[in-house]
Amino acid sequence: MTNRLCYVCEGGDCTEKGSGDIFDKLRDLVREFDPNEERIKIRRYPCFGACEQGINVTLYPDKVFYSKVTEADLPEIAAHIAGKGEAVQRLTGKCEPDVEQIIWDMLDSPY
Amino acid sequence: MSIVDLEAKIPNNVGLRENKRLMMALEKWQPKFLDWWANMGPSDFNQDQVYLRTAIGVGQGGWAHFDYVKMPDYRWGIFLADGPDDRKIHFGDNVGEKAWPEVPGEFRNRLRRLIVTQGDTEPASVEQQRMLGHCCPSLYDLRSLFQVNVEEGRHLWAMVYLLQTHFGADGRDEAEAMLERHSGDQDNPRILQAFNYPVNNWLDFFCFTAFMDRDGKYQLASLAESSFDPLARTTQFMLAEEAYHLQTGENGVGRIVKRTGEIMAEGKDPRTVGAIPLDVIQRYVNFWFTGSMDLFGGEDSTNAAEAFAMGLKGRYRESDGIYKDPKALNANYSLEMPTEDGKIEKKDIPLRRAMNAVLLDAYIADCKRIVERWNRDLDKLGVHQHIQLPDHKFNRHQGVYAGFRFNPAGEIIDEATWTKHHTDWLPTQADRDYVQSCMVHVTEPGKFANYIAPPPQGVNNQPIEFEYVKFH
Repeated sequence: MTNRLCYVCEGGDCTEKGSGDIFDKLRDLVREFDPNEERIKIRRYPCFGACEQGINVTLYPDKVFYSKVTEADLPEIAAHIAGKGEAVQRLTGKCEPDVEQIIWDMLDSPY
Repeated sequence: MSIVDLEAKIPNNVGLRENKRLMMALEKWQPKFLDWWANMGPSDFNQDQVYLRTAIGVGQGGWAHFDYVKMPDYRWGIFLADGPDDRKIHFGDNVGEKAWPEVPGEFRNRLRRLIVTQGDTEPASVEQQRMLGHCCPSLYDLRSLFQVNVEEGRHLWAMVYLLQTHFGADGRDEAEAMLERHSGDQDNPRILQAFNYPVNNWLDFFCFTAFMDRDGKYQLASLAESSFDPLARTTQFMLAEEAYHLQTGENGVGRIVKRTGEIMAEGKDPRTVGAIPLDVIQRYVNFWFTGSMDLFGGEDSTNAAEAFAMGLKGRYRESDGIYKDPKALNANYSLEMPTEDGKIEKKDIPLRRAMNAVLLDAYIADCKRIVERWNRDLDKLGVHQHIQLPDHKFNRHQGVYAGFRFNPAGEIIDEATWTKHHTDWLPTQADRDYVQSCMVHVTEPGKFANYIAPPPQGVNNQPIEFEYVKFH
């Protein structure tokens, strides 16, 4: 089973913006090529803290922090996860670097 | 997907109708709970119509229903998250074995203690907050308070269900005792000291939900990894509700900080207009953040090591597979330890003994995030005085730093320095009196007390000026 992880924020602001649907649709797209989570696990995450830039989605260990994600962006994100495309640059670099770093610090746990 | 029985006297998705003995036990406990709610729950608002969210299922979409309800008529139910039938243990000594549907005899006492300690905090916080409705800053916030209160009551139901189902007569006794202990009661207090502090004003309330309920999130998250499957699935669903409580606190303190920043940006002294100065907010943050860290237990703990080894409590998001070794046997944790001669030294301890510290690290990172969020709002207003999160060693009463004095920067200090400066760092009686003086009662829809900014949006797509509470 893979250690690659995709988190979709389900904090208050992201939820208001529809992160529940984004999670469901991204999971469905990824299941088309990865039905048993062999390439990546997709999970909800309570809040990344980049609320104004929501909906936020992260990929690890790629350390890609996607912001302002809409349903229209999901095929490109899924293609990136599948290894058929680059990171979707227009969705990156929108939130404060220190906010990004907090989630990478947790995922880079030395333990 | 489990079947949700909403028509039962106690709504549930645990098949209560098929377990008559359990149903009778819970139906016997229900009037005692309602008595407790009437006497120890929110004071004087039980006849009012409150626009509340009620859990009606466990599916990811549409698990809750919003409507007006009188709080005593709230449908407190028992819900477990759905999970796979073949769930496996994913950490500790028994990795790979089937998760337990029943309590293993050898872990019975320890599991009971974990559940009772968690369960005791749920009614405790309702008791702590019972008078706050009388000084609410808005109808929007009054509704938030009651939402938090009824859901903490539901979380008590969740823990009582586990006790009554899996712990026999002992569990029934513990369920009764949950309603007999009271926050701040000198003879029969709540188990954890932080749940005996009074919550007298809305700055306390928002700090409580921002920091103490956030501790609750991490404790629940570690129990949600548990090898005892009913506990894992119960706490997974509690986390869905708890998220709103944390948001209430994070946004509430943030709105107070923002309002103070707005007033400062206008060149006014917050004290002249009934708002709360940043230095007072800072001392409240220091108090509640440090009190919440004490709830994690000792940083070097054999109890924590055993709970991990047995598979009772996992690390934060353990099941996501972010940790290198699910048995945590081959690593050390570097812990800052105070020495007799007044220094701080790094000491390696076996990782299993540091499980409380590992969980605390995740909590502190989360708290840093929320404080940075508040400070970004101040920056936008052109106010460059910031709220700082104190060092994790400051003002600790549990764990390896208890008994030593540290300043908020984490530097070890002597008793004389502490005596001279502690009122700069922690709320004074004058602070409490001033904050209390700001607590005006605002109940006109869409209006807010002057110490707090309105929220950016209403609840459940309703406007901010919605009548969230209809008084009888």
